[in-house]
Amino acid sequence: MLSYIWSLVNWYLRPFIKWLLRHTTHMCELQRICYGEPSGAPRTYSVEVSLRLSRNPEIRSLLAYLDDIADQQAITMRSERAILEESIKTVLITKHINPTAHPDFAKSFGKCVELIWGYRQLCVHCEELRQTPYDSDNAKHEGLLLKLWDLLMPGEELDGRITKQWQDIGFQGDDPKTDFRGMGILGLENLVYFAQEYPSAATHVLSHSMHPKYGYAFAIVGINLTSMALRLLKDGSAKTHIYNASKTLPTIRAFHQFYCYLFYEFDGFWIESKPSNMMEFSSIQEKFEQNIKAALADSSTVFRINLSVDNI
Amino acid sequence: MYTFCSSTYSLFWMSTALDGLLSILKKLRANPEKELRILLLGLDNAGKTTILRFLANEDITQVTPTQGFNIKSIHTDGFKLNVWDIGGARKIRPYWRNYFENTDVLIYVIDSADLNRLEETGEELSELLTEDKLRGVPVLVYANKQDVAQSVTAAQIAESLGLPNIKDRDWQIQSCVATDGKGIKEGLEWACKNVKKK
Repeated sequence: MLSYIWSLVNWYLRPFIKWLLRHTTHMCELQRICYGEPSGAPRTYSVEVSLRLSRNPEIRSLLAYLDDIADQQAITMRSERAILEESIKTVLITKHINPTAHPDFAKSFGKCVELIWGYRQLCVHCEELRQTPYDSDNAKHEGLLLKLWDLLMPGEELDGRITKQWQDIGFQGDDPKTDFRGMGILGLENLVYFAQEYPSAATHVLSHSMHPKYGYAFAIVGINLTSMALRLLKDGSAKTHIYNASKTLPTIRAFHQFYCYLFYEFDGFWIESKPSNMMEFSSIQEKFEQNIKAALADSSTVFRINLSVDNI
Repeated sequence: MYTFCSSTYSLFWMSTALDGLLSILKKLRANPEKELRILLLGLDNAGKTTILRFLANEDITQVTPTQGFNIKSIHTDGFKLNVWDIGGARKIRPYWRNYFENTDVLIYVIDSADLNRLEETGEELSELLTEDKLRGVPVLVYANKQDVAQSVTAAQIAESLGLPNIKDRDWQIQSCVATDGKGIKEGLEWACKNVKKK
């Protein structure tokens, strides 16, 4: 009921307030946001809301066009420049902004467009990887799995492709292929990225997972954290971090790094919680997710993997 | 005189209405939703969590291996089912026993296409059936993944597990495909009908 009234008020009052501000400040809403809000998540998020509320047909068709190319994953480092220029041009013309009088606006607005639709494209990409099941007939998948072993257990040879050794890094049985399940190849790529880009952190976490009292299944927890990271990405909670952390177009790398942060932090949280055994996983994971969500609710949040412990 | 009559008349109706209401309330109290504790066990990758999520009408495409356990309360046909889904990895199996107490029905899930581990799953099941805390608890076996080409039938599984030799409790085998829900309802209906008599 309250939200209904609010949307009514918004619908009728918003144009009036915008008109009033436009004539007092001589700037459109997008300009006011780009000049007034700090860069990163606060600015990008406000621009996103403003664009989505727009009733201007040119703006609306621009949004439809951007949504479409993001859904097709057609924003690349190469195509990006033309897409951003087109978007900026549309807004400058529609909002009658003089680019020479407002050189900073174009740059700042372009950055927001890059982040908003880069994020959308990232969601599509991650979902696609998630829906790609792990396939043991696919040489690439198999190679990635063996690479994970080599990264985590350097100097230790696998007895064979199907072996109990997989349980040492926290898979459930003798063949990890069924453990990826609903997270598909995304779960494996996350694990490999963590082990490859943050070897000392990954080793540190892996050694914790082998703790006699507070141990847990490294790979299985990792796959469950992929699920959590994807959940936060898709419900939009992760926008705060991605918008603040990305200097350029957000790509899968941004998701992997978000994941690495979560894994490293979860490990610390788990040990701190002093669980009596691994049956406490769901409840501790839930608490952890609530903490992360609370942190993401603050628009200045940006997660950086904290390796200080690791270097001691 | 007339007013007196009418007031007794309305009083009469009021009291019958009240009686009716009371009897409804009493009936509600006499028949509260029956609460059942259901334990879902089986090897890893058998499909326990998928069955749990299917029962709870949740998305079953994003299941991950269960580290620890999941629990959901499901309301169905006058029952409140508290379903405990415990991870099936070898390392977690020693913790199964922590969840035995007060179980009304044991549901044991088998991946009918995992031929290499049919023996292993049979061993785990027969071990469960000797547990003191599960004595007399009816067991429902879901022969899951019947849609997979190399899967064996429910009858074959019953045979290889030696189910017909079970004499100390009710048992049932139900073939199913958890990913599209085929057979799940039928199994659950049997479970609700054959709750352990206390």
